[in-house]
Amino acid sequence: MQPSLHVRSLRPAVAADSATTLDLLISIAAPAMPPELDSRPRLPLNLALVIDRSGSMSGEKLSYARKAARFLAGALTARDRLAIVTFDDEVEVLVPSQPVQDPKLFIRAINTIHSGGTTALFDGWLAGAMQVANHLDPAALNRVLLLSDGGANEGLVDSAEIAAKVAGLSQRGISTSAFGLGAGFDEDLMGAVAGAGDGTLAFIESPTQLEKLYTDELDGLAQTLGKKVSLGIRAKRDVQLLDVINDCELTAAGNWQLPNLRYGQEMTVAARFQLPAWQPNREIVSLRLAWQQPGRPERFAFVEHITLPVMAVADLAGMDPDPVVIEQFELLLANRERSLAIEELDRGNLRAARAHLEAIDQRLSLLPQTDAIQRERLLLEEKKALLDQDRNLSRKRLRRESLRSSMSVWEQPTDSTDSEGLS
Amino acid sequence: MEASKEGIGFVSTTTTLAEVLTVAVQACNHSVMVQPPPGSASADPGAAEVLYGLEQLLELAGEQLGEEISSRTVRLYATEGLIDRPGKDGRRAVYGRRHLLQLLLIRSLARRGLSLSAIAPHVASSDQELEQQLQQLDDSSVAPAATGTPTTNDALDYLQGLQSPAASDAQRDASASLLPLLGSPLSSRSPSLRAARMASRSSASSSRWHRFSLAPGVELHLSESASIPPPGTRREAWLRRLIDRLREQLDQTN
Repeated sequence: MQPSLHVRSLRPAVAADSATTLDLLISIAAPAMPPELDSRPRLPLNLALVIDRSGSMSGEKLSYARKAARFLAGALTARDRLAIVTFDDEVEVLVPSQPVQDPKLFIRAINTIHSGGTTALFDGWLAGAMQVANHLDPAALNRVLLLSDGGANEGLVDSAEIAAKVAGLSQRGISTSAFGLGAGFDEDLMGAVAGAGDGTLAFIESPTQLEKLYTDELDGLAQTLGKKVSLGIRAKRDVQLLDVINDCELTAAGNWQLPNLRYGQEMTVAARFQLPAWQPNREIVSLRLAWQQPGRPERFAFVEHITLPVMAVADLAGMDPDPVVIEQFELLLANRERSLAIEELDRGNLRAARAHLEAIDQRLSLLPQTDAIQRERLLLEEKKALLDQDRNLSRKRLRRESLRSSMSVWEQPTDSTDSEGLS
Repeated sequence: MEASKEGIGFVSTTTTLAEVLTVAVQACNHSVMVQPPPGSASADPGAAEVLYGLEQLLELAGEQLGEEISSRTVRLYATEGLIDRPGKDGRRAVYGRRHLLQLLLIRSLARRGLSLSAIAPHVASSDQELEQQLQQLDDSSVAPAATGTPTTNDALDYLQGLQSPAASDAQRDASASLLPLLGSPLSSRSPSLRAARMASRSSASSSRWHRFSLAPGVELHLSESASIPPPGTRREAWLRRLIDRLREQLDQTN
């Protein structure tokens, strides 16, 4: 089973007698889960659940964190490994990694978690990662689940440094998901960790959603077709890659790092090129999709060579642009431009932040009002209203939505107005 | 700040507990730990219990576990409240079946790498539950964490390279740093004192116990992992149960 790659261009050709700006929509689609795989037991999981027990987690948040952790332990089997790590200003390996033979052993330990001091987030992650690494199994899915309601304020606190270390580990076969809980967590840090960790990013506004999140995380792990997915975009001679609208991290090899690919899922990358007058049958760009299949040591890859028909610029201008390409470009641009609004928010310039959101909405209002566009406009409307009511929440949601173009972002079940950015 | 709110809540909780227990203990005017009496949880009242001296207990447990256990270990567990206080036969400390079960379970869980604070809730159960837990541990034939062969791998080497000296402290045996923590009063959870306490706190401590002197010769040890019911009827009921247990124990000792 392997993913497929489809390309749509804004117009079905490039100009023979003039320069062309070429908008390409690259869709990466994973096939539906094959029935024989569905009935087979999923790959074993090797997980560490790292729980923030800093002072701010006290009360309802920690109570739900415990409940969800108990649920997680109960949902795993003797084929899976689980470690439970808690941290405040110190780190405790509550249950070292071991097979989940008896969930009760985990549950009793989880029940002892109480809130304490400050947030040594990096040390907590590190201890959880060590637990997974101690039993690193190439035939399993190895992942750290990091749950925090705060910013790192003890030990290593720089989000870029933390992300770099998390990225180093995901290169070595252990991914990290980052779950931010409540109103106090550092959304930029959690986004950076999940992006670098090749895992899931979740912003959870109510701790009651934790159990659903863990369920989805386990399902997602079970349905992973490809991890460490990357897209190489090689513009051929004379072609210039102007922009990739998805703000993905680049891999060491200069490829775009995409989120994990699940069976039945599709993700979209938008790229803009500049071409001089072009000759027929001349290749414009090659696309190389690479991924690792869980449980398999080798990396899979294939290359697609893209050529397009060539015609006179006058004829080209008369052809209708593909509405799907326009729509997807605009949606991805809308994700990206949320970052501009966040920058203004951080400068304390509420009016400029609002102006950015209004500019996005203005452009979306000119498009055919499909369901996707309407959903997106509702989201923007909601953020605009939130700017005044709750700037912090508004920033968190804007960050989450801006990251939909480049990583797996968990959708809150109650947030029915939300759209899946990558599909 | 949310953190300080919690700190205050915690202090008031435990002050209430301490006050009530002080009254109870002072009324009895006798030196005793707040511990369930040995064998009380589910022992058959009709059966005469077999009692061992410390040496015998160590020998029996050692045989079953296949490891040597020192008297110091048992005393540490007793101090931590993981093993019930021994009974007395004249001046000699005597142990029963419950002590043996507790010791076996503690060692079995510790060998799986659980910290003492994580073990504490397991050994507070009834004799029957202790037996069941031991049985399950035997059945689940998990290789003990300590002897699990650490596979050399890239990820592990990488992470070890990331570890700061402070972080590797946290990997040390938690029990090593427990004793110095005894004596830190519970009120140090108050936000104003918290910073001072953090400075003196060992980064390796994973189980914290607080010791109150309630009256001359009377102490209360309270684990941080002890769950104290919220104020109201549940707490009152819980306190009544504690007082009943204390009374039972005092009657037996007399």
